[in-house]
Amino acid sequence: MGPGGQSGRGGPVLEVRRDYRCCDRFAGTATTARTSRRRMLKAAVFGPQDDLVGEVSGQKARRRPPTGLPAAGQLPRALTGIVHDVSPHVLVIGCGGSEQRIALTAGATAWRGGPVDPAGLQPGDQAVVRLDRSRRGVADRIWANIGRVTGVIVARDAHGLLIDEGKTKPRRLVRIPDGSAGRIQVRFPNLEPGFLIDVIGLKQSEALEARIPGTSQPVYPVDRLPTPPMVSGHAPTTIRGSATWHEPFEEPPGLLGVSYPALDPEAGCAEDPIGGGTAPRFARLPYLAIGSMLQIRNDCTDSACRLPVTGCAAIARLFNDRCVTCGTSPRGRIADLTLASFIALGGELERGCFNATVTMGR
Amino acid sequence: MTMLTHVLTEIREAQIPLLSAMLLGGSAAKVTRAVRVGSVDAGLGPTALFPMRLRRRVAVSVCAAEFVCGAALIVTAGRFGRGDLATGARIATSLLFLVATCALLELRANHPDVGCGCFGEFSTSPVGGRTVIRSALLSAAALSTIGLLPLQAPHPGADAGRLLGIFAVEFLVIGALSPELGEALVRLGYSEPCELRRLPAVRTLAALRRSSQWRRRAGLITAEVPLDMWRELCWRYVVFPARLGERQAEIVFAVHLRPHRPVIHAALVDSATGDVLAWPTTPARRGVIGWLIDRTLGPSTPFGLRGTGLAGSRDGGERERRGEGPADTDTDADAPAAPAAPAAPAALGPASGLPGRSGPDAEHEPPGVAGAGAASACGDQRAAGLLRIPAGMLAAPTDPGRGIPAIRSESAPPAETPGPQQPGSSKSASVQPAPEQPASGQPASGRPASGRSGQPRSAGTPGSPVPPRTPPDDLPFSSDL
Repeated sequence: MGPGGQSGRGGPVLEVRRDYRCCDRFAGTATTARTSRRRMLKAAVFGPQDDLVGEVSGQKARRRPPTGLPAAGQLPRALTGIVHDVSPHVLVIGCGGSEQRIALTAGATAWRGGPVDPAGLQPGDQAVVRLDRSRRGVADRIWANIGRVTGVIVARDAHGLLIDEGKTKPRRLVRIPDGSAGRIQVRFPNLEPGFLIDVIGLKQSEALEARIPGTSQPVYPVDRLPTPPMVSGHAPTTIRGSATWHEPFEEPPGLLGVSYPALDPEAGCAEDPIGGGTAPRFARLPYLAIGSMLQIRNDCTDSACRLPVTGCAAIARLFNDRCVTCGTSPRGRIADLTLASFIALGGELERGCFNATVTMGR
Repeated sequence: MTMLTHVLTEIREAQIPLLSAMLLGGSAAKVTRAVRVGSVDAGLGPTALFPMRLRRRVAVSVCAAEFVCGAALIVTAGRFGRGDLATGARIATSLLFLVATCALLELRANHPDVGCGCFGEFSTSPVGGRTVIRSALLSAAALSTIGLLPLQAPHPGADAGRLLGIFAVEFLVIGALSPELGEALVRLGYSEPCELRRLPAVRTLAALRRSSQWRRRAGLITAEVPLDMWRELCWRYVVFPARLGERQAEIVFAVHLRPHRPVIHAALVDSATGDVLAWPTTPARRGVIGWLIDRTLGPSTPFGLRGTGLAGSRDGGERERRGEGPADTDTDADAPAAPAAPAAPAALGPASGLPGRSGPDAEHEPPGVAGAGAASACGDQRAAGLLRIPAGMLAAPTDPGRGIPAIRSESAPPAETPGPQQPGSSKSASVQPAPEQPASGQPASGRPASGRSGQPRSAGTPGSPVPPRTPPDDLPFSSDL
């Protein structure tokens, strides 16, 4: 057992940390109100900034859909809940204290560790449902028990891998079943402490059962991160790279937001390196704060909307990977979206990422 | 022949300080890198050849070996190290460079993308032929020093010149074989974009407090600690609580992230409604001469500048903190407003109006004058605080040497419903210059007219027909879609 893990009779036990807090995490309404106020105060100084700086030339700009805060009917909506009942035509899921009945059409598809028929979902599964854009009560796609672990391998033993997902999250246990081991090890050859991992799989009570590699493993361990390139002149306000999603933790369900890899270090985020060192970022992203607005576009589907920065992407900034969902993106993760916003922008959860363009206002 | 031998001996002798400098420099660069990054083994190239668990130890060992060899070469160069001690140090140094050469060859073959880490973060480019040759030459140089007699200071003149020449040539050779030199030169000339630049918040606050924007607005600020502070791109926003008469407000400063003399914008926002408020009128800057006259002639100068103040300025603020309340809240609207509001103390002295920062000026003012100053603020509050104007117009950039343009409305007729007269108001009117007199060159139209008849009252104020402005679009949720 390596550092950070505790041996128990059943194998490694997650080391529960007490302090998960980020500098400004969207855990409560106080932070929400403060964030809204920031935008208002900024507008008081510089005027409302509805127009974000972006590329304005070329055909691509003309055919780009109108962008703004997500509005009803523009983007697909995600619904999260526990499956109460399922039949070939209706899915009943519990959201909080209420139940919601969702129609299943012939075109609906489902994922539960792999493609399954929607009727094959089990009561008790935690489902993420993408509703049809135009028909509110109709399911378009369902993911059951989907989970994702992105972080640094802390320890490895016969039971699995212990993963550190940053200081604001508890450590996670990842088990790699034999059936998926080959597929994962092709993309993650170094399953050793110190190396990064990003896997998607099925959530279980104690661990994540890895099924799909979320990306290709960077060749470097986290203590040997390559130096990011130097940038001269002004940092670009339109940046291309990979947009990923993360499992919600202390986030309100359904939040449309984005965790950003380059929050102002002076904000004192818990994710910042000890000693105040500069966190590495491979895409040279300008520093922003919680509440800053970003326009995020899925280059694969051309869906776009403005989203607020709701958290710090502590682990995402360690990756210099590319997304190859449609073409090859430049290196670096530029946005770590909440589950709902990833779905709203047309991402497929099991793919792990989409090629994205992030634009920020001056 | 003797001359050649002599020169060769001098070349051999020059290697000892050179090798020592290289070793100590390499060790210092590694330590610097480790301290900055927080990890001993981060960025040290040849440790990649070892298993993960051994890398830290190897990195520490290499760093320590360099330091010990470098120090030992210098210590044993003179009489102290004559004999086995000096020979041992030199053999160890040559062995160190020999091992390093082999390690670099191995690193180049197995990890072609990894830098050698010889000089910490400057050695990040992949190991090339030059790096290997440099290490091999240094090894040979260390071998050549074995058997040398203790070093002696060179004689002034030809000997010293020759030694300097040897050093110069060697430095040129080492420079040509060092990819780190190019990296260092690039870094020296590199200026990070402001969007990526790390600038401590304390420096931003210090720059803000030195600025003319701060001096002009400090009278309104009611707390020394900012309510909120955040950064976006090249700007850091700092929000302070403020008071404009009875109205709770916030002043938001946008400070450009530049180390020296940053551009600063500011806006005044109603705390309750979020409305952008007009700044209270400020006097035109009087410059040094005005300040000198004011200082020389005292507060009872005909300029009437010392006694004027704002509700939130030092005098008014002091009164409010003492629980007396603003003595100026309901001045008769017909009474002349104070055109020279925050006045000289705020504009010329240190930041005022902050708790615990009562300056000497305030202490020396006669009570009557202070009261008048506080009372005069009422007119400002009523006039200036109730006008909704475009936000962009309020953001006045700090331009050293230039006044902050105050946004003012058109001249307005007197108020129809003047507020209740306060005891201090008439006194205030008696010491204030007439509003039609443009004090210090200020135009008459500069008198704020908001809050008077014909002007819409600000949103959120009691009786206002305008509904309170809510904060902008709240967090979006998937259920909104």
